Amino acid sequence: MAIVTLENVTRIYKSGDHEQKALDGVDLSLEEGKFVVILGPSGAGKSTLLNLLGGLDSPTSGTITVNGRDISTLSANELADYRASTVGFVFQFYNLIPTLTVLENVALVKEIVNNPLDAKKMLAEVGLEDHMKQFPAELSGGEQQRVSIARALAKNPKILLCDEPTGALDSETGVMVLKLLLSMARNYHKTIVIVTHNQNIAKMADVVIRVKNGKIRSCEEQTAPMSAEEVEW
Amino acid sequence: MMIRKLFRTAWKYKSQFLSMIIMVAIGVGIFLGFNIEWKSIEADTSSFFEETNYADYRLYDQTGFSEADIDAIRNMEGVDAATRYLSVNLDLRDENKSICLNVSESYNVSTMLVTEGMEYDEDSDGIWLSDQFAAANDLTVGDTLTFVISGREFSAEIVGLIKSGEMMICTSGENQLMPDYTTFGFAYVTPKTLTQVMGIAFYPQINLLSDMDKEEMEQAVADALGRTTLTLSKNEHVSYAGALSETEEGKTMGSILPVLFLVIAILTMVTTMHRITANEKTQIGTLKALGFRDRRILRHYTSYGFVIGLIGTILGIVLGYGIASLIISPDGMMSTYFDLPDWSLVMPGFCWPLLVLIVLLLTLISFLSVKKMLQGTAADALRPYAPKAMKKSILEYLPFGEKLSFGTKWNLRDVVRHKSRSAMTLIGVTGCMILLVGGFGMKDTMAEYLRLLDEKICNYTTQINLSDTASKDEALALAGQVNGDWLASYGVSYGGKAVILEIYSAKQGNIRFVDGDNSLMELTDEGVYLCQRLKDTAKIGDTITFSPYGSEEIYEVEVAGYYRSVITESIVMTDICADNMGIPYSISAIYTDKTMDDIDTSPIISGKQDKQTLMDSYESFMEIMNIMVLLLVIAAVVLGIVVLYNLGIMSYLERSRELATLKVLGFRDRHIGRLLISQNLWLTVVGVLIGLPGGFATLYGLLTALATEYELKLVIGMYTYMISIVLTFGTSLLVGRMVAGKNKKIDMVEALKGAE
Repeated sequence: MAIVTLENVTRIYKSGDHEQKALDGVDLSLEEGKFVVILGPSGAGKSTLLNLLGGLDSPTSGTITVNGRDISTLSANELADYRASTVGFVFQFYNLIPTLTVLENVALVKEIVNNPLDAKKMLAEVGLEDHMKQFPAELSGGEQQRVSIARALAKNPKILLCDEPTGALDSETGVMVLKLLLSMARNYHKTIVIVTHNQNIAKMADVVIRVKNGKIRSCEEQTAPMSAEEVEW
Repeated sequence: MMIRKLFRTAWKYKSQFLSMIIMVAIGVGIFLGFNIEWKSIEADTSSFFEETNYADYRLYDQTGFSEADIDAIRNMEGVDAATRYLSVNLDLRDENKSICLNVSESYNVSTMLVTEGMEYDEDSDGIWLSDQFAAANDLTVGDTLTFVISGREFSAEIVGLIKSGEMMICTSGENQLMPDYTTFGFAYVTPKTLTQVMGIAFYPQINLLSDMDKEEMEQAVADALGRTTLTLSKNEHVSYAGALSETEEGKTMGSILPVLFLVIAILTMVTTMHRITANEKTQIGTLKALGFRDRRILRHYTSYGFVIGLIGTILGIVLGYGIASLIISPDGMMSTYFDLPDWSLVMPGFCWPLLVLIVLLLTLISFLSVKKMLQGTAADALRPYAPKAMKKSILEYLPFGEKLSFGTKWNLRDVVRHKSRSAMTLIGVTGCMILLVGGFGMKDTMAEYLRLLDEKICNYTTQINLSDTASKDEALALAGQVNGDWLASYGVSYGGKAVILEIYSAKQGNIRFVDGDNSLMELTDEGVYLCQRLKDTAKIGDTITFSPYGSEEIYEVEVAGYYRSVITESIVMTDICADNMGIPYSISAIYTDKTMDDIDTSPIISGKQDKQTLMDSYESFMEIMNIMVLLLVIAAVVLGIVVLYNLGIMSYLERSRELATLKVLGFRDRHIGRLLISQNLWLTVVGVLIGLPGGFATLYGLLTALATEYELKLVIGMYTYMISIVLTFGTSLLVGRMVAGKNKKIDMVEALKGAE
């Protein structure tokens, strides 16, 4: 069953008289529970696509349906509620709140979600049960990204959206984070969408979407995706 | 190119630049405003005094000075000029108005400045009238005035309109605080006219010019005349003393308020410049990496402080002159008090170097901020500024610490993490609160002072002034006839200074007395009562001595208590106490419940004044007070808005990444707005708690500094506290909402780009 459907989605950025088409008539359908990787060079429109899926931005035209709901015309407050209930984000630079401890960063979602998963349990699952009282600045990059994953999953979202989640990490840590991300997504039956320009990550995906110049160039299903260990980094 | 960068950076940080410029302008403006005010009073009054040969000393003798006396004084060594002088209050016929009539016999001391009409001519039998009184009563040159003197009338034509240093503060007596030209003015006539009207040349005063000090003068006068005479220096005369006290008040005000504003301006500059350079750190690194020398980069960023300082100071100078001209100008606040021909604004000499110092200091602040960012290699400079490591706040270690909500913890730690920003917010709110409590409290204090005068002390309807020729028996008879209380007053020397001895018969309760707490008190016949200003000179039970001027007698008397004197620096006793001590006196005023119309004219009455006229004369004083309070309230609110907005925007910019993260997580704008506002509100609560006693203490300090002028009891009403709190919270909430509103415009995608 398709959890995400995009129909003829266009996003144009205006700057004075200048217009830039970041996405140009995109049609796309993503199945529930799949691991999707969106590949493309810089400026291809992959982050724009992710931002539209995440409700951080709205399309100039076209329809985006997520979990049966059209999100392309929602108000600011409705979009906030959508982000709270339906999607979880993992960023390249983690974006943790520096003034909150590790546990508080994850428990924070209680403020906006009715039935969040237990913050301590999530941190234990990402292997950070001993770091709960520390502040983000006291952790390594990989550890911070694990907190970020725990926070994203604690909201119990339908879809996990990740923007270059290993971009700021060394390859060893990157593999560990990817493994964690995948296993957590599988355990909790989440659809996971990763935006990256790293071809290797694509080898692990169920679906690989290639984007160029704001258009979908290809959408391939991989019947036998590799595990993180099998991929040559 | 670098200049273009300066302008673009200024635009990028426009609200910070603007608030720094506003703060510097307000700080400098208020500093200059008060200093120009007192300096202008000093300069304008001295040139006026010089122009009208204002007397350095006044000698008084109720029996009058003879020609031999004035000759003896003129021949004294060190006396530049001297004249016999008369200054007497006379009623105008058919009108409830009176005039202080002046005659300067030799017309070389205490002269006048003609603003319209004929110059002084000793052969003229016309009258030179105060131009202010003429304007207030639609009189002009050529009109005729008719006076009543001891039941007789005399008329004279107005031949000129004038001002005079002697009458620069034109009040009818000790009880009138502010001039009221609709009911009281002054005039000059020639000695020739005086002799025609009075029949004799009677001069109870000698005015003279001399550089001698008071002790020397008293001794020289005693030697020359062969008797002691009440000798008052210009410091003890209403015009000079008024100018001096306004100057001193200006200096006092000028050293409290502007310091508060300047300190806040400088602290704002320190915090803001540090944050701007911290934000610019990577740009500084880029310039360094490109090969720009440290000195060039330093010069570039230092110029920010210089430009802000320069623009702020120039605007401050304009504002300072603007504030000063609200007070010192022909229509300014001081014009209701002083009658001056020239209202030039004069800046004290020390202000210019100080202004240069302020600009240099602001430049230095900028220099030091950027110097810190330049330390180390280009690579170090390229790394973004890292705030201090995060720690839990002390509150969180308390038992309830763990239970604090996310928002509370977030804000609490932010306050601790950005201590200087939080401290500045606190200083801004506290400053706002101090100004509000101080300003409104000053008004409360003055209102209470007037209420005290109206409802407690002056419990009469009409004050009857008696002529100098009235005998004690005549006066007592009139007092009995109108059921009046009465007063006899004259100058005495007490502890080396001239104070007023007031002898009261207050059995009818028309004139009453209050103690230091403003509660009604009864005078006993067992001793004297000292006013609050003299409280430190003797304890209750001590014996004090005083000597009336013009007499060799020295009286000893016990201090029975203290009272609050609303205007004069005085000691009081009852008539019985005076009689017991054998002090001779002549009654000068009667206070009665009868209305002016019910009091028959009598040769011994020199004038009548109803209480309402007296109270009305305070109205203009209260108007000035209201304008001052309004200015303080505006200054407080502007201060609050500028400081809080500036810091709020900085806080918002510094946390924009965190705010964007919260938005991405699904926090609604209103939820985030509440978090932002709540931090402001907590700091406001603390600021208000400090500002409440702070405002009280500031006002107390101000009143203590002015204690030699007024005996004001500090009164701050409940409404003052409430209005001040509401205004401070209102300002904080308004700014909070303005900043929180920006949250809606956060571009989540932009804000989350790049490394932390």
